[in-house]
Amino acid sequence: MRVAFSETGRAKFERLLTRYPDRKAVILPALHLAQKEFGYVSDEAIVYIAGLVGTSPADIEGVATFYTMYNRKPVGKYHVQICRNISCSLLGAEHLIEHVSTKLGVRPGETTPDGKFTLTTVECLGSCGTAPVMQVNDEYHENLTVESIDRILDQLP
Amino acid sequence: MPTLTINGMTVDVPQGTTILNAAKEVGVEIPHYCYHPKLSIAGNCRMCLVEVEKFPKLQTACSTVVTDGMVVRTDTEKVGKAVTGVLELMLIHHPIDCPICDQAGECGLQNYYMKFGLHKSRYALEDKVHKKKVQDVGGQIVLDAERCILCSRCVRFLDEVTGTRELHFFDRGDHSEISIFPGRPLENNYTGNLADICPVGALTSKDFRFRCRVWFLKAFDSICTGCSRGCNVDAHCKGDILYRLKPRWNDAVNQAWMCDFGRLTYKAMNEARLLIPFVREEGARKVAAWGSLLPDVAFRLKAAADKGGTDRVAVIASPQSSNEELYLLRRLATELLGTKNLAFTHRVAEDGFADDFLIQADKNPNSRGAQLLGIPGGAAFDALVSKIAGGGIDALLIFGNGIGALSEEETAALLAKVPFVVQAGTNEGPVSKAATAVLPSASVAERGGTFTNHAGRVQRFRFGFPARGKAKNPIEILVGLGNRLGAGWTFAGEASVFRALAETEAPFAGMSYDSIGMFGQETKCHMS
Amino acid sequence: METVLTTHFANERYRRLDTYRQYGGYEALKKAFAMDPGQIIDEVKKANLRGRGGAGFPAGVKWGFLPKDLSRPRVLVVNADEGEPGTFKDRVIMTRGPHLLIEGIVISCFALRAHACWIYIRGEFVREARIVDEAIAEAYAAGFLGRNILGSGFDLDVTVHRGAGAYICGEETSLINSLEGKRGWPRLKPPFPASVGAFGLPTIVNNVETIADIPWIVTHGGETFAALGVEKNGGTRLIGVSGAVNRPGVYELSAGVNLKDIIYHHAGGIKDGKALKAVIPGGSSTPVLRPDEIDVSYDIESMAKIGTMAGSGGVIVIPEGTCMVRALSVLMNFYAHESCGQCTPCREGTGWLKKIVGRIEAGKGREGDVELILDLCDNMMGRTICPLADAAVMPAQSFIWKFREEFDRHIGEQKCPYGNRF
Repeated sequence: MRVAFSETGRAKFERLLTRYPDRKAVILPALHLAQKEFGYVSDEAIVYIAGLVGTSPADIEGVATFYTMYNRKPVGKYHVQICRNISCSLLGAEHLIEHVSTKLGVRPGETTPDGKFTLTTVECLGSCGTAPVMQVNDEYHENLTVESIDRILDQLP
Repeated sequence: MPTLTINGMTVDVPQGTTILNAAKEVGVEIPHYCYHPKLSIAGNCRMCLVEVEKFPKLQTACSTVVTDGMVVRTDTEKVGKAVTGVLELMLIHHPIDCPICDQAGECGLQNYYMKFGLHKSRYALEDKVHKKKVQDVGGQIVLDAERCILCSRCVRFLDEVTGTRELHFFDRGDHSEISIFPGRPLENNYTGNLADICPVGALTSKDFRFRCRVWFLKAFDSICTGCSRGCNVDAHCKGDILYRLKPRWNDAVNQAWMCDFGRLTYKAMNEARLLIPFVREEGARKVAAWGSLLPDVAFRLKAAADKGGTDRVAVIASPQSSNEELYLLRRLATELLGTKNLAFTHRVAEDGFADDFLIQADKNPNSRGAQLLGIPGGAAFDALVSKIAGGGIDALLIFGNGIGALSEEETAALLAKVPFVVQAGTNEGPVSKAATAVLPSASVAERGGTFTNHAGRVQRFRFGFPARGKAKNPIEILVGLGNRLGAGWTFAGEASVFRALAETEAPFAGMSYDSIGMFGQETKCHMS
Repeated sequence: METVLTTHFANERYRRLDTYRQYGGYEALKKAFAMDPGQIIDEVKKANLRGRGGAGFPAGVKWGFLPKDLSRPRVLVVNADEGEPGTFKDRVIMTRGPHLLIEGIVISCFALRAHACWIYIRGEFVREARIVDEAIAEAYAAGFLGRNILGSGFDLDVTVHRGAGAYICGEETSLINSLEGKRGWPRLKPPFPASVGAFGLPTIVNNVETIADIPWIVTHGGETFAALGVEKNGGTRLIGVSGAVNRPGVYELSAGVNLKDIIYHHAGGIKDGKALKAVIPGGSSTPVLRPDEIDVSYDIESMAKIGTMAGSGGVIVIPEGTCMVRALSVLMNFYAHESCGQCTPCREGTGWLKKIVGRIEAGKGREGDVELILDLCDNMMGRTICPLADAAVMPAQSFIWKFREEFDRHIGEQKCPYGNRF
């Protein structure tokens, strides 16, 4: 099942090419674009980007698997990423992770059976002053408590 | 020329030399894995750490360029501890497969552990990270990712030498793993080199897998016979069986590489060999003795020339024969048999596959040698084949195992037109099935001599082991035939033949085995 | 106290070009265009502006490393990868004052004679990248970016390049490789980026805050900036305080502020009336301090003198009752997760450290484990291509040196005395 960028996606990709002196520099932004358009970075997406950029699929796979944000497998509708680094842990992140894990019925790394939530623990999100912090898809949620996490997750459609 | 002092010894080195290479000049071995002279510098294995005066931290010898007055020590306790430390870290996840690993005996980890390690493991077995083992990644290679030390030589080779980039690192940290993209295996003609450059048993040869322990193998210098490039090789044998070919360094010919086709040419020297002289009587093979067969062949060739004229005798030479053999054959044909019907054949069609790296279209090692020694090919060969097909030849002396691209049936049909066909060949094939007399010949591994490659470079191949069965060195066959035709030759072996041909053959004038040396020598004139 | 960066950060509209200009935005740029590029570099040198990313290398000196000949185009790369645990200040600059950064970029590129700049923003900062992109669009529209800026004849293109989740990409050569579309592996140095950097071109990589300081330096002069700090560490710093304090957040303070004051005065002291147990002063990679060690100036030299670092300005406050072994375990997990895997000591060592410390924390420590950790640290420190291994080693060593009894108790009692809880 081959994939290809939408018209807008393709236009974005073409514009990206003009911002760098070397074609391969678009690989990271192209993978972000692919993840947005295809939902996750599939094998087909890797082959597609390799063709667009002019390198081997192994090359692209090497890049895609190096960085944590590229999902090589599909994730749930909401990717709940809770920081477990030092400042967040000092302020109770472990408890929050346990709470969400129980609430959703999944362990970190797993997706709920209805495909709504994927729970992962992540490293420092760069917002330690408002710890504990989590990122749901693109959005940061800060100063978390058990109550606020419940509220946030329960309100997600 | 900057001056380096290393472990108290001083040496001048060319500008730009790294400490690692400078150390070699004075016999100081600095351990390393990721550095390879034909690949870019990676500096990631960290085995080559050395002390450099005025630098607070240890430096990697592979990437540090010598500056004038630099003082380096590799023999201090600090360096020793660093090397042992790196080695220990490299081994914590290593599966220690030695009992079943082909690399044993030529393994970088084994070798350096014996030199710099000898430590007991402090790492819990159950903590070892496991990766995919025994993967067929295509080409001639099996990948065992657990054994991999992530030196990146393979990735760099496929990026910088073949440009095909099939292997890469996936994931990161201590879960980093070398792999191919699923469904995209190695697809280039140089995959065999990966097993050579891999310092450990992560990338190994499918062909060689489990076949022999390397300490049983003996090595001798040879030349690949797969095409006219003449890649220099190390041939490895146990007794009189060959197990593998590995490229031998020669910057003028093949750098450090050889192609996958060439790697497998050793098989022909092991399999389907002609080992017993025989004649064909009433359609069946009858074993003959050299002592009677050789005089008989000489007699019948002479008889055919006497009876029907020298034009009824033909000689087909092989571009797989050495310069020495071709020289003797030419003299036999022209001086002793007096025939003009002399040409050399091709093993496969002239338009074979070629690339812009090592692979040549001409799949024979010595076509150029034949040409330079006055034996024509091409059109002259076609004309000779036509003459044979037209029934114009009564006696044919043919070297080699086939005639051009002719099939078995076509060869049989062609040779049926010739009452007496004598073959000097190494392997069963279309000719041995149709010849009247077969003189089994020694393979490239069983004799010495020289080939002239496509660029006119004369290179030596060395004797490896005595010819198997009753096969004979072609030089012996030619001298035997020649002398029975009145040559009066006193040649003892290839060296004496080469001395003679260097005296009379202009392209080889002034050459000797000494001047050819280890890396070959170019002939004086090149025929276009 | 005079502030260089945060003066108008409370105003949510400050991120927009019109408001930024109301407060004098882009006037520094006009002044810079009237200067000679060499003069600007001199001011930056006089300012004693030490890189704000964590390494603290003098910016003016780094700028001077570019080759004198202009035959190859030079580029500026802004490091907005902010991944050091405890650090969250660049985010504030990018969301509250993106034009400060952009103006700083234009002035810096003018001084460096660079005509291309990429801002490498960590992938997780999606919103921040969008805000910066919007500010860049405003700048282009108003003629502060693009061709012939303000009629000066100077051209400059700026592009945001988003990362994708890798702490190591905060290291300048890893960042350059990531910018080029590769795995974030650091490069061997030499050659340094100033000779061979992004796309093979002479490159200067600077932290967001370092560049954001430039407009003020041009406006007020390097010496004035220097005077806001102390002798070898000029200006103000954005210091992030996190952990168990009453007022966590980013504070703009003199580079020579007292560390104890940062915690007790500015950040309001320890939460819940607890006592202080430990402070990680400059981001997780810096050696930990005991409470009796924090009465010290936070400037780079003074911190180095007491065996730690001011680093990225991220002060992490650890209260009494925290299990230091568990805290270390969190950090060891981090470094093992983030090791790029390129070179042996870090790739294998961070994983091993994680396992040993994890074992001790879980009550399964063995006799000799602490000595093993320290020996392993010796084998990692200073042996690698980049300092990530050192960054893992420094917490491991310092936690053991200063809180040894906790490790011994875990091993001796085969359990966590704190009940495996923070």
